[in-house]
Amino acid sequence: MQSHVKFGNTNRFIHTVPIESQFTTICPLTDLKPAVPQTFELDDQFILLVRYQDDVYCIEDVCTHDGGTLGEGELDGHCIICPRHGAKFDVRTGEAVTMPATEPTKSYEVKIDAGMVTVRLVDQ
Amino acid sequence: MSTTVLTTPVVDPAFKQFLDRRVEPTWLTNLRLAAWEQYQSMNWPTRSEEDWMRSDLRGFHLDKYRPLEAREVTQEACPTWLLDGVETDGQLRSVDGVVQHEQLSPEAASRGIYFGSLERACQTLGNVVEQYLMKTVDYKADKFSALQAASWASGAFIHVPRNVSVDKPLHIHSGMTDGGVDTSHILIVLEENASATVLCECSSITETSDGFHCGGLEIILKPGAQLRFVKLQEWGDRVWHFAQQRAVVDRNASIQWTLAAMGAKFVQVAQQVSLVGEGATSQVNGTMFTRGKQQMTYNTLQSHEAPHCTSDFLYKAALQDRSRTVWRGMIKVAPGAFKTDGYQRNDNLMLSEHARADSIPGLEIKADDVRCTHGSTTGRVDDELIFYAQSRGFTRQEAVHLIVTGFFQQIFDRISIESVRKALGHAIARQVRQYE
Repeated sequence: MQSHVKFGNTNRFIHTVPIESQFTTICPLTDLKPAVPQTFELDDQFILLVRYQDDVYCIEDVCTHDGGTLGEGELDGHCIICPRHGAKFDVRTGEAVTMPATEPTKSYEVKIDAGMVTVRLVDQ
Repeated sequence: MSTTVLTTPVVDPAFKQFLDRRVEPTWLTNLRLAAWEQYQSMNWPTRSEEDWMRSDLRGFHLDKYRPLEAREVTQEACPTWLLDGVETDGQLRSVDGVVQHEQLSPEAASRGIYFGSLERACQTLGNVVEQYLMKTVDYKADKFSALQAASWASGAFIHVPRNVSVDKPLHIHSGMTDGGVDTSHILIVLEENASATVLCECSSITETSDGFHCGGLEIILKPGAQLRFVKLQEWGDRVWHFAQQRAVVDRNASIQWTLAAMGAKFVQVAQQVSLVGEGATSQVNGTMFTRGKQQMTYNTLQSHEAPHCTSDFLYKAALQDRSRTVWRGMIKVAPGAFKTDGYQRNDNLMLSEHARADSIPGLEIKADDVRCTHGSTTGRVDDELIFYAQSRGFTRQEAVHLIVTGFFQQIFDRISIESVRKALGHAIARQVRQYE
């Protein structure tokens, strides 16, 4: 069960079942524009979906350097660039590839199910 | 309906309804209106502002809490810890900003001490309250401060006359239901050579409760006054906590301010002590113990505005899991505040490799002949210590508890009230996470 509310530029989901145990439907695949990161809020957690080439990736929308959002950053190939200090994270794995970030951000499993993007919010 | 002469027309229907429900003196209504106007003209804080640079407000949605709506009196009982074995001269309890119980001993009342609801004081002691309310804190500091000044409800007023001592502690407890709102404001005025001990605590109905606290604290100490102020924050795990707190300490007055921040999902506190009279002293003892994804930010300011003043701030934080603390401390010494003795220190104990502590001490000195020192340490628990304790029969949880208690011992040593030491010890024990 979930309801969907739009707050500003962020899509917000309010769940009534534990989200760790299942894949959660986020949005239709067609809503994700290629190479345009999009932020979603799920139960107080922010995730970032990126459609890159033929795949969709999901990482936590947190720069491990300063704790801020990555959502307003640009893509450089398969890396997202933090808009504040330039740290880069590999959207496929969450790995920090450029200083000043040294710790990876969380990465989540994504499945496309009947044209819908679903995410499993358990650390990979 | 209030009968007031308003300086500004009320245009916002929700705020108009809020005012219409209250019977308040004109000066207070006008104060609320000015603050509401300020609130509406401001944007929410962003990461481009220094005080909010490390704060993630993305998950905060004010519309979820509705601070202007009428709240029902509830008989819910929220836990308290500071009263264990303590005799008091007065108690004040509220839930969701609605006063449930207020009491002051007849002996204290006979000596002219006021202790009770701030709302009632605005009615009965309006000429006194008007002199001080919102004069010490700055409601224009940010949008949360403006919201608090406009919509505060409940809270306490303490007024101790000249040369009077409150013999036993005064106790204030703010409770909150799940999803509740607390916008309480505490105003403490100690006249010349008065003294008091105030125990203040807040808690939610359950450990996992949601809620919104937007609070204010103003302390005014006249020459020679002495205050011991204790604050224990034990909100539920999903509470958003915002507060602006300021003490103004005059000539030869002193404050000992002890705080323990344990609960809430997100904490942002601006704490300031202004030493405005010669020979004023302040000691602040802060403890933060975090777990899960808690985020706590304390922006502290020791403002030396007169000569021969002493300030001593010690903040200690222990962090578990993925929690985060930010401590940004500043000592400001004004021109002419010579012979200042300012000290600030922040120690962080990292109990998890994923926790993060930002410690930013600072000095801004515009006077000669001063002594200002600051320090910061951050370190991890030595795994061998835990292993050793486990080899002696302790569980991992007990071992961590022992180490954390030892880490906070320096704070315990500075607390002179037995019940507070005990309550802090129990709060630390409750906060140690379960290890599998």
